Amino acid sequence: MSEQRFAAGFLFPGALWLLAFFLIPLGIVLAISFGTTDDLGNALYGWHPSNYDQVFDPLFVPVLVRSVSYAAATVAFCLLIGYPVAYYIARFGGSRKNVLLAMVVLPFFVNYLVRTYAWVAILGDDGIFNGALGTDIRFLNTPYAVIGGLVYGYLAFMVLPIYAALDRMDPALIEAGKDLYGGRLATFVNVTLPHTFQGVLAGAVLVFLPAVGDFVSAQLLGGPDEYMVGNLIQQQFFAAENWPFGAALTAVMMAFLMIFMVLYLRSAARATREAAAA
Amino acid sequence: MLNRDLNRRELLRGGAGLAVGVGLAGCGVGDTGGETKKATQKGFAKKVDGDLVYFNWAEYINPDLIKGFEKLHGVKVRESNFDSMPAMMAKLRAGISYDLIFPTAEYAQRLISGNQLRVIDHDKLKGAQVFQQFDQPWYDKDAAHTVPYTMYATGLGYRADRVDGMSGSWRDLVGADSSGKAFMLDDFQEGIGMGNLINGYELNSTEQAELDKTKNLLIDMKAKLRGYSSDTITNMTSGNAWIQHLWNGDVVNIRNQVDSPENFKFQKCDEGIPVGSDTFAIPVNAKHPGTALLFIEYMLDPENQAANVEWVGYPMPYEGGAADAFAGLVKEDPEIDVTVDDLANGQQFENLKGEGRRAWDRVWTEVKVA
Repeated sequence: MSEQRFAAGFLFPGALWLLAFFLIPLGIVLAISFGTTDDLGNALYGWHPSNYDQVFDPLFVPVLVRSVSYAAATVAFCLLIGYPVAYYIARFGGSRKNVLLAMVVLPFFVNYLVRTYAWVAILGDDGIFNGALGTDIRFLNTPYAVIGGLVYGYLAFMVLPIYAALDRMDPALIEAGKDLYGGRLATFVNVTLPHTFQGVLAGAVLVFLPAVGDFVSAQLLGGPDEYMVGNLIQQQFFAAENWPFGAALTAVMMAFLMIFMVLYLRSAARATREAAAA
Repeated sequence: MLNRDLNRRELLRGGAGLAVGVGLAGCGVGDTGGETKKATQKGFAKKVDGDLVYFNWAEYINPDLIKGFEKLHGVKVRESNFDSMPAMMAKLRAGISYDLIFPTAEYAQRLISGNQLRVIDHDKLKGAQVFQQFDQPWYDKDAAHTVPYTMYATGLGYRADRVDGMSGSWRDLVGADSSGKAFMLDDFQEGIGMGNLINGYELNSTEQAELDKTKNLLIDMKAKLRGYSSDTITNMTSGNAWIQHLWNGDVVNIRNQVDSPENFKFQKCDEGIPVGSDTFAIPVNAKHPGTALLFIEYMLDPENQAANVEWVGYPMPYEGGAADAFAGLVKEDPEIDVTVDDLANGQQFENLKGEGRRAWDRVWTEVKVA
């Protein structure tokens, strides 16, 4: 008991951190979302639930649908690219595993926005890519560029949990699958994939959540028709100076994303229970 | 000197500082007007009273002048940058103390109405000959709280070697043949203002019927735009934009960065030109107003004016140094020039308040989501 209490003390710094830098700011966001503004553009606290009426304007439905679609496409591409990479590192990385993992993480040493800005130079009409190929392809200001930017930005969030799941998996299970006359594909589909499903799910959630709310990729790589929810929120803070409406949009967005988080947590809890029962 | 491949001001305009600003959201709820008017009127001597805490757009001052000031007075200039006026306001609201800021005219007016700027004793500033049009600026009675910094006009930048059909109208943004390489400024004032001018309305119109028509016009234009972007210099120099809605000084910077500057032109449009100006101002909570005043005086030295104008590419409204320097910059393409007379004749964005401001925000949001 006392050991448990002692160990619980380890949670204290993290809890304090979350309180100071997550819960309290979140509370302020919620408070402002019911506020109003004065003529100087200052947000004032108050009780104006009408901010939320504006959020549910059908005008914003296409923007939301677009954001969710882009994020879903991002998850799909990250999975297609990320799973093989994680698979290779976990199963065949050998002594180079840590180096390969470090290479996955390396781009994070540079800020996401700066890296995205670099794509403008690379993919521009007279950019490095077109120059090298002697082509005249318009990459920028298209949905493909925006989704590409999102995939590039969040790929590591997919690779790492899948790698962890593959690394945890006993390779003997794959041998067993083959002993039971499973072909490579059958073994992968019936053994490897189910065993790493929780990793895939974790990766999907880790990519999907930030991708839905992203504004950088659409702002720098998108055109007029790639406007996302993140851009809408950003516009309320930095163009309209309407913090209350921006905060209300943020609150609704978080509630919406929470649904996905809860679904994931329930699935993960069930998997843990099943593993314990087995 | 002007050849900067990745322009920091633009990068910031593009959004770099936004994350920082969002992080601050919530810190400064309250009334910036809470300070008493008295605090704004407290006098201070023009002398070094500490290092200068300086807050400006990035790349919006000649860095050699900052080094020169540090050397001259034996102080450090601690520089930080904002990427938009609302971002600057967010920091000020959060109570962060700066000695010198560079608000646009309409934000200066707002800050003054909230008792946020120190009164500046102009008799203490020697040397500078400001054009008389700035003796009684519309945003600051008797110019009590501000000193003019730069001025600018909005228009269309275009590639003369690529674009056919420039006719002198704002409609050329989407009407001239730019092979779909047209960008509108990602700026609600400039966007709606242009729409109002095309429709023949007042730049600052808040009439709902007029705004509805402007909104429809902007939605029509949107279909032919490649994007909304304030990364004007990168867009033009990278070839992504052949027509770009921009400020005149950007064209000076673009021409300084490309191999064939004669191909990059600026068009002041017939329907009317939005003009504006930026200011030096000392916030009420400045800890070193004396150093700030010294810095303003240093910047207004005619030689330094000239060095600054040549570097930033925007004119400053001072006779002699700045005016001569800018005349030199634009002598090959007078269209880029913006004079104090342009400023007097052009239309300036006003501080919209209450319902009018909300109406503009709704238009811009509806255009963006359409």
